[in-house]
Amino acid sequence: MSAGANGSDVSTGRVRALGTPAVRTQGLWKVYEHDGIRVEAVRDVSLTIEQGEFVVLAGPSGSGKTTLLNVVGGLTRPSDGKVWIDGTDITALSERELARLRLEKLGFVFQAYNLLPVLTALENAEFTLLLRDVPPEERRERVEKLFERIGMTGLEDRRPGKLSGGQQQRVAVARAVVAEPSLVLADEPTANLDTATSTSLIDLMAELNREFGTTFVFATHDTRLMERARRVIRLVDGAIVDDTRRA
Amino acid sequence: MSSRRRIRLRLALRNLSRQKRRSALSGSAMLLAMALLVFSRAIADGGHEEWIDAGVRMGDGHVSVQAPEYRTRRSLEYRLSPDVRAAVQDALRAPAISNRVVASAPRLTVQGLASSSQAALPVAVMGVDPELERSFSRLDEKLEEGRWLKPDDRLQAYVGARLASRLKLKEGSRFVLTAQDASGEITGQMVRVAGTFRSGIPEMDEGLLQIPLATAQEWLGVPGSVTSEAILLRDSRDTRPALRDLRSALAGWSDDAAVLGWRESMPELNAALRMDDWADYVFHLVLFVIAATAIVNTILMSVMYRTREFGVLRALGLERGEVGRVVFIEGMILTAISGVVGMALGAAVVWGFFRNGLDFSALWDMELEAAGVVIDPVIIPAFHWNQILLSLISILAIGSLSSVYPAWRATRIDVAEAMKFEE
Ligand SMILES: Nc1ncnc2c1ncn2[C@@H]1O[C@H](COP(=O)(O)OP(=O)(O)O)[C@@H](O)[C@H]1O
Ligand SMILES: [Mg+2]
Repeated sequence: MSAGANGSDVSTGRVRALGTPAVRTQGLWKVYEHDGIRVEAVRDVSLTIEQGEFVVLAGPSGSGKTTLLNVVGGLTRPSDGKVWIDGTDITALSERELARLRLEKLGFVFQAYNLLPVLTALENAEFTLLLRDVPPEERRERVEKLFERIGMTGLEDRRPGKLSGGQQQRVAVARAVVAEPSLVLADEPTANLDTATSTSLIDLMAELNREFGTTFVFATHDTRLMERARRVIRLVDGAIVDDTRRA
Repeated sequence: MSSRRRIRLRLALRNLSRQKRRSALSGSAMLLAMALLVFSRAIADGGHEEWIDAGVRMGDGHVSVQAPEYRTRRSLEYRLSPDVRAAVQDALRAPAISNRVVASAPRLTVQGLASSSQAALPVAVMGVDPELERSFSRLDEKLEEGRWLKPDDRLQAYVGARLASRLKLKEGSRFVLTAQDASGEITGQMVRVAGTFRSGIPEMDEGLLQIPLATAQEWLGVPGSVTSEAILLRDSRDTRPALRDLRSALAGWSDDAAVLGWRESMPELNAALRMDDWADYVFHLVLFVIAATAIVNTILMSVMYRTREFGVLRALGLERGEVGRVVFIEGMILTAISGVVGMALGAAVVWGFFRNGLDFSALWDMELEAAGVVIDPVIIPAFHWNQILLSLISILAIGSLSSVYPAWRATRIDVAEAMKFEE
């Protein structure tokens, strides 16, 4: 069990400091209020995820997985509590700084329609490198290598509309990892895929996690994905009810 | 160009070409608006030029030189002496002025009475140089009966047709003119009808007659003097610089000579043109509102429809403002391309089909007279640079006005909301 603060100091440095957790949250709450109806989507979540972990946030629909992931990714502001990404307190960042942090430290994979429909597979995959001003040769080299790795060689110039769901998710994963972020957040990445396709996507992410040490945090209720995780954090009604690591 | 800017531009361009049909549809509203704008402007500018030309030829020219008080007092007391006239001629010969001047005509105009055996009627008597006047007012082309004045005529008069018929005068009839001379005495002069004219302008046909300048000067006791020097320019848009140059050339004579532009000497015509321009501007505004509505609509629809895309962009690290800029650029490109193509189309239609004039005589079956000018029903379109510039500015204005709201909407998108997956 490693829920709760682990006492490590907050590092504000840009370089990934050894021992700095990839994610740390402290007393995190997200409360929605609409027309007098109050929903506590995330309730007092404190957790630490170390660099290189392959973690699943599990729980029934409506348990707050997506909300927690969005708060951790800086897409939603928490109602209370703090979030550190790679040692940086993101709750203290401005919108602009958050955008920059997402670009530099995070990768996202969503359930579906992750890709920009007007760009080709290759352009989608290299998008964050473009945003970071990586020179063209390096961009091509990295993306080509990744495409080979994810079995998409030859499909570089296809638009997302001309790719299968599984191929689209592979490109989305490639885009999430291409800039070597410290953390990839994936919300139900396999929910729209058939068994064979999800298995191979999970294999791919597990391999990338092993090879590059990229931290993966999933929100899912896909049991295949849970079986592959080395740690499963269970949520019920927005609160952590179980946090299990396996060897 | 920074790579982020390049990305935004690429996204904007790709989005426009992805939604080709929609882009083309809303672009076509802009295209038609600009084509109509260019077309109507070319016709209006061409028509106005002809209107002004006709007006100033019959009237006092684009620019006229008169004694300062003449304009209000209309008395022979206020005339241009031979010295002043010589100075005016000198000024007109200066290169900067002369290359704008097409013709100039000296005129000695007095109010008087024309009496025949049948009647006596008030008239404007204009002493003119037959040769110079002919190329200026072209009143000889409006001949109804008889002939135009000849250089060696002495006691011949060219008389408005309505005036002649009221006085029961025919070609060769004699009648008497009376007016105040330079010393204030009433003086008479017998003349003979050389010809009559019908200009289509009631005031002229009922109340104007022309006699040789020398005859008028002798009769009224003002040898060598005139009441105005009328100057015709190549183009009405030369009026302002010509006025400026002439005024500075005649600065030393400011007590004796005032230089007037046609807008001052023909306020009615000026007001009529302004009115016409305003009517055009209202029409253009309507066109712009229609075009802008089509563009706002398209861009806004496309923003709504792409909520998820903007969510992805934000998740990837684009800032709010950058997402807005992608949308803004899209709107601007759509407007600019369709606007410029529309302008080219309008110009091509004008140039291709109506370069030699657009005949409106089917619409106006009678002679059209307005603000003291007879308008030729055949209008030669004109392209004026300032109008083209104004059109380009309007395109930018329409583009930014119609893109700013959709762009703002795009910045307001909530990422978490946008990324929700709806089955
Ligand atoms: N924008 C929102 N406004 C109000 N309630 C919301 C909003 N987003 C999520 N919720 C609620 O928060 C709870 C958690 O939702 P979510 O994080 O999507 O759960 P999960 O991803 O585990 O299915 C649900 O009850 C959901 O209805
Ligand atoms: Mg969810």
